[in-house]
Amino acid sequence: MTETLSTPAPLGAPPPRDVLLEVRNLRTSFRVLDGVVPAVDGISFSLRRGQTLGIVGESGSGKSVTALTIMRLIDIPPGVIGEGSEVWFDGQELLSIPLGKMRRIRGNDIAMIFQEPLTSLNPVFTIGDQIAEQVQLHLKVSKKEAWDRAIEAIRLVGIPSPERRVKQYPHEMSGGMRQRVMIAMGISCEPKLLIADEPTTALDVTIQAQILELLKTIQQRTRSALLLITHDLGVVAEMVDNVIVMYTGQIVEQGTVDQVLLQPRAPYTMGLIESIPTVEKRGGRLSVITGVVPSPFNLPPACRFEPRCPYRWDLCRRVEPDLYPAGAAGQLARCHLHTPEGEGRRQPALEAHKVNMTAGRAFGKSR
Amino acid sequence: MTKYVVRRVAQAIPVLFGVTIITYLILALAPGGPESRFANNPRITNEVRERFLKAWGLDQPWPVQYCRWMGFCNPDVENPVVSDAPILDHVPNPAALLGPSGWPNFLPEPISGSSNGVLHGDFGFSVQSGQYVSNMIARAALPTFILAAFALVIWIGIAVLMGVYAAIHRYSFFDQAATVFAYVGFAMPTFWLGIMLIFIFAGPGLNILPAGGMTNTRLSPPFGSEAYWAYFGREPVEAVLDIGKHLILPVFTLVVVNIAGDSRFVRASMLEALNQDYVRTAKAKGLPGRAVTFKHALRNAMLPVLTNIGLEIPFLFTGAIVTETIFSWPGIGNLTIDATRNFDYPVLMGVLLISSTVVVLANLLADVAYAFVDPRIKY
Ligand code: SF4
Repeated sequence: MTETLSTPAPLGAPPPRDVLLEVRNLRTSFRVLDGVVPAVDGISFSLRRGQTLGIVGESGSGKSVTALTIMRLIDIPPGVIGEGSEVWFDGQELLSIPLGKMRRIRGNDIAMIFQEPLTSLNPVFTIGDQIAEQVQLHLKVSKKEAWDRAIEAIRLVGIPSPERRVKQYPHEMSGGMRQRVMIAMGISCEPKLLIADEPTTALDVTIQAQILELLKTIQQRTRSALLLITHDLGVVAEMVDNVIVMYTGQIVEQGTVDQVLLQPRAPYTMGLIESIPTVEKRGGRLSVITGVVPSPFNLPPACRFEPRCPYRWDLCRRVEPDLYPAGAAGQLARCHLHTPEGEGRRQPALEAHKVNMTAGRAFGKSR
Repeated sequence: MTKYVVRRVAQAIPVLFGVTIITYLILALAPGGPESRFANNPRITNEVRERFLKAWGLDQPWPVQYCRWMGFCNPDVENPVVSDAPILDHVPNPAALLGPSGWPNFLPEPISGSSNGVLHGDFGFSVQSGQYVSNMIARAALPTFILAAFALVIWIGIAVLMGVYAAIHRYSFFDQAATVFAYVGFAMPTFWLGIMLIFIFAGPGLNILPAGGMTNTRLSPPFGSEAYWAYFGREPVEAVLDIGKHLILPVFTLVVVNIAGDSRFVRASMLEALNQDYVRTAKAKGLPGRAVTFKHALRNAMLPVLTNIGLEIPFLFTGAIVTETIFSWPGIGNLTIDATRNFDYPVLMGVLLISSTVVVLANLLADVAYAFVDPRIKY
């Protein structure tokens, strides 16, 4: 339950004003019985005001832990925040401020929407209660006004007859409605940053599209920044400006959504994209990334994707790759292919990816 | 809601009938019987024994005995008492609604033709004392209620505080200590604890508390008698203090042995609530820790605890057999043990029927209470 942090190392300089969120060298690990499991392993990124950023990765890639660390919702212990980690939000470093101050930011300046709308709302309070509680807490308004704002928020997320709905309990609503309520709760205090952690994963496919559409309009209307966490590249394509791809707690590729989705440069991203079924790939074999995500206790020695990578060579087992500029301007990929040593292998790899994308041939070994 | 309660009460009636049949059958099939009291008495001749069996109707097959006990049929088979008055002409007067024992009569005489039995408001007569069983139970009920109510309120109060605190400060020193205490309390036999307490506090050493009983018999007439209430009216403070002094050890015993399970239950329930997604949501909303714990988590954690408390209510009426026996508390538990020792089947049946009724009602009460606190439940 303790949520205090050990005194961090001296902080770096704050980022420029137009950067709303800047994460620097963030490392979060968990102490367990047999040692320490790194969940987020030195990631850095920044998000401008009003912009949208997607974090993509499989489960266990550290994307949710990243969000929870920003919100300081990781219990310490068992969680450990690595020394030198910094999270700059709106001119403040969040990991080092007192918890009381952090609470005034939570729900007010940064709001978070969780994956499970069924369990994320308290079953014994009406939804109006739950939204008004937050409004009253942060905006210091009367109870009546807080309720009015709750009704307004519910109207804004497209729930019909909000006056009646506020008096209902979560169990009286469908999953999609509950996620709308979560979004209404999120925007009720007009946050500068909205973090959505897999907001549609638990919902029906038909509802997913509606919720994403809603998130997008809300984001555009309120001009808050959006950090969207998902495992679904399709969702990212619809929703965000920039993308970060995470694997085993590290960023393996980052760039604009067009760069990453259309011209991926890290073999892991290539594999992810190749495994999406598309019309062109119809009839062919859908490629998959062979093997499994390595256990955090037993990570490969150098490149963490090496055991599953079809383009690997001996260097990949010896030297850990960094994030290198790759492809178009601003795009980064964690792969030796984009170093001088990988010069000769780069083109064939990109060719292979292109072929896989059209013919649906197997990525690596076919299964 | 009303419909639901009515339906549940209606369902309870066949259940209770079933319970009476089964318990009666078990007692009837058990070796021995009220006549076993004579087994070691050489002065009782076979003839006396036969007379005793006949007098109590124990020579009849068990269904007949059961019918008589319930009050469906007349115990005096040779000379059935049949009322001359036609049923419709019978003018009910208030007294007719009461059975001969003074308790409510569900089958007034003109309908059934018999005059005693469960449905006539009494549970027959005690083989041992010849008194109405209903009266014996009524007399023992108040002492049991006093003891059990004190113990229940104290142990639930402490268990909830302890469990919630331990859950919030999981693995802290307090939590570990509470765990040890719970296991010790769980493992400790009630009789051992009771005897130790008597030994320590009522023994020759300290001798500061009474070893047993409910009142100081040298000070006052026996509890429950008319003389006692007269004394109570005269010296209320002294009487209450006297009972209070007698309560300390048995209440302490009951609290220690019962706190264990309940505090673990509260702790587990609270821990579960604290791990729920909605608690994370509450934190993400920026609520202070207090509001997260005591509003969002506690409210949910108390739902199963409430049911558990509901199921402990019967204890108020059925008593604690071991504790009451050790401390010679004149309650239902003691009555039960006495009846068992003396093969006093009518008393035993009476106690069993009352207990099962209370259990059924407490279940109903717990369910109804749940609907009030949990919005997800609608009847
Ligand atoms: S560094 Fe080597 S093994 Fe790792 S992704 Fe690049 S090519 Fe594959």
